[in-house]
Amino acid sequence: MEGTSRRTFLRRTVATSLAIPLSASFGPFAVIASRPKSRVAQVVRPGLLGGKGFAAAARIPASSLVPLVEEAVRAATGISDIQTAWMTLVRPKDVIGIKVNALAGPGLSTRPALADAIAQSLQKAGVPAGNIILWDRSSAELKRAGYPLSTAKDRVRCFGSDSLPLPYERTPEAAGSIGSCFATLVSRYCTALINIPILKDHDLSGVSLGMKNFYGAIHNPNKYHDNCCDPFIADLSTHPHLRGKLRLVVVDGLAGQYHGGPSLKPQWGFPFEGLLAGADPVAVDRIGALIIEEQRKAHKMKSLAEDGRPPRFIATAARLGLGTDQPDEIEWKKI
Amino acid sequence: MMDRSTLSRRGFLSASAAGCGLWSLSAFAQDPLPPAIDLSLDASPKEDSLFVKEAMHYKKLDALRVECRLCPRRCQVADQERGYCGVRENRGGTYFTLVHSRACTYHVDPIEKKPLFHFLPGTNAFSIATAGCNMECKFCQNWNISQFRPEQIRSLYLPPERLVKACGETHSKSLAFTYSEPVVFYEYMFDAAAAARPAGIRPVMISNGYIEPEAMKPLAAHLSGVKIDLKAFTEKFYRDTCSGELKPVLETLRLLKSLGMWFEIVVLLVPTLNDGEEEIRQMCKWIADELGPDVPVHFSRYHPTYKIQNLPPTPERTLVRAHEIARQQGLHFVYLGNVPGHPAESTYCPGCGEVVIGRYGYHITQMNLQDGKCKKCGRAIPGVWS
Repeated sequence: MEGTSRRTFLRRTVATSLAIPLSASFGPFAVIASRPKSRVAQVVRPGLLGGKGFAAAARIPASSLVPLVEEAVRAATGISDIQTAWMTLVRPKDVIGIKVNALAGPGLSTRPALADAIAQSLQKAGVPAGNIILWDRSSAELKRAGYPLSTAKDRVRCFGSDSLPLPYERTPEAAGSIGSCFATLVSRYCTALINIPILKDHDLSGVSLGMKNFYGAIHNPNKYHDNCCDPFIADLSTHPHLRGKLRLVVVDGLAGQYHGGPSLKPQWGFPFEGLLAGADPVAVDRIGALIIEEQRKAHKMKSLAEDGRPPRFIATAARLGLGTDQPDEIEWKKI
Repeated sequence: MMDRSTLSRRGFLSASAAGCGLWSLSAFAQDPLPPAIDLSLDASPKEDSLFVKEAMHYKKLDALRVECRLCPRRCQVADQERGYCGVRENRGGTYFTLVHSRACTYHVDPIEKKPLFHFLPGTNAFSIATAGCNMECKFCQNWNISQFRPEQIRSLYLPPERLVKACGETHSKSLAFTYSEPVVFYEYMFDAAAAARPAGIRPVMISNGYIEPEAMKPLAAHLSGVKIDLKAFTEKFYRDTCSGELKPVLETLRLLKSLGMWFEIVVLLVPTLNDGEEEIRQMCKWIADELGPDVPVHFSRYHPTYKIQNLPPTPERTLVRAHEIARQQGLHFVYLGNVPGHPAESTYCPGCGEVVIGRYGYHITQMNLQDGKCKKCGRAIPGVWS
């Protein structure tokens, strides 16, 4: 893979399971090798919410979520030692931006405790606290979602990219159909990104998972909602600021929502009680979309496509080489 | 290196302090983030109450969704989301404008700069804008306000009554809603125009014309003049270069004509994209046939900006040729913009050919109108002259 760094190669290698059936014959039907699969780890703890739904999801303390996070990271990387697993994804010197989704307020935003749990696990692996930034586009939205804001250098920081002296780059940068000014937190300061979206549907794009979560990294997301946000979501993820820095996607599925997104509609919530994790953003979005579709079917709702909002950006992202959306190329590892 | 045996207590303390300073500097230098991160959020609630008002022209849908009826995009917006323009937001099933009285820029301009050449010539227009736009022209010269969200740029609280007062203070005969796209700050424009007219101020809208007729009609009752940017005469250009549509803009022009509104048209010619002779011919024919030969048309020059920076500025010969084509199609008042000193900046009587208003750039050099008529031959020159 031209231009692939050692770290990226190592990350992709350990994050996938290899399936290489070798054939002794070199005849026309010989199978030389099959493509490595993208692993999406699904870690579920039935009963985690105690039957109480969204409110309970918000009350789970970070200390209870650290084991869940670490199991997900170990499963996603295929490495049993958590420190080693993290070090295949990030370095201690990285400035790690943990992108949450705080749009929908306290009920349906990435739970602060989960973000905190990831930060704690990273610190145990050797990443200094001051190198970890929990962020979204707006400090006001973060605060409304229950995040305690902080810029103290000796602790995990939490603030909106709008609070920086220069929130956005002064000139737009292109990525396919996208032409946007990137948040300087992403373009200048973070050297690695961990994306923690929430497991929910979206009124226009079908689902709002990892790739859609990066709309918070540009100044003009409102311009990119036509045509079910396609190809815009996929194009955005091709930009080096994102593609080159994304290390892991962890979907907050403690309590998800299968209809009425992106804002909170408790009547359409479901207690998934777990996380999805993977390095392949397309595969993670594909699995997340499948889970949402399963819920819609179980509740006798139209599919997203029948509802006029197919998440076609996922296939577009696969065509752009960001990952795979093919079920037979994804190892959906359920724990 | 200091000899320990000769290190005094003062020297030790001094060296220690210097070392701490160096350590602090070192630690600061290693912090990847800038020091001045502003987490003050106190202003937000106050700003919200000043600028946020329920929008006009929208319809409530199921599941707390709304459909905006202000412009032909007809954005269907879920709760907590915004429309394409970025300045209207659905909150709990009610649609709000976020920019009422939220001016991000203001300036006193000659009315000729809008450009409005047949509207109170030689007077000033107090000009304002908010953030936002319902298109995205890749050559937008005001992109750093039109393509941003209101919370991303600095703004001032300038309510309608303050605008009317500012017009008086600056001796401005007109109040111009301009720079970005006033359709998206409709409620602000509507209220300000309604306040301005009774005070003797003439409200004018400088717009892309991408607005629903049912929104344009009530607004027109409070406006005195309109300038429409006709970006091109193909749907392809509107779609590919402006993220808009041609047909609704043509409908707006027809509507303005039917309402008896004074309006002028600007066409910005972008080399290779909308400057073809046949396209200009068809455009001018449409204008002459549908709107009449007396509608002033300004051909303006593009300069590299925003997302189109690889094309040269429009050659003067392209503008001159467009002028010729427009005159051949029977249009009486055709102007060239951004070409200071060109004869086509002046207004000529369609009857006798004499200069009725001489111009150099935005400046009036001679005025040969009397009661709205050519001084020489007495022909009525259409416009708003007083």
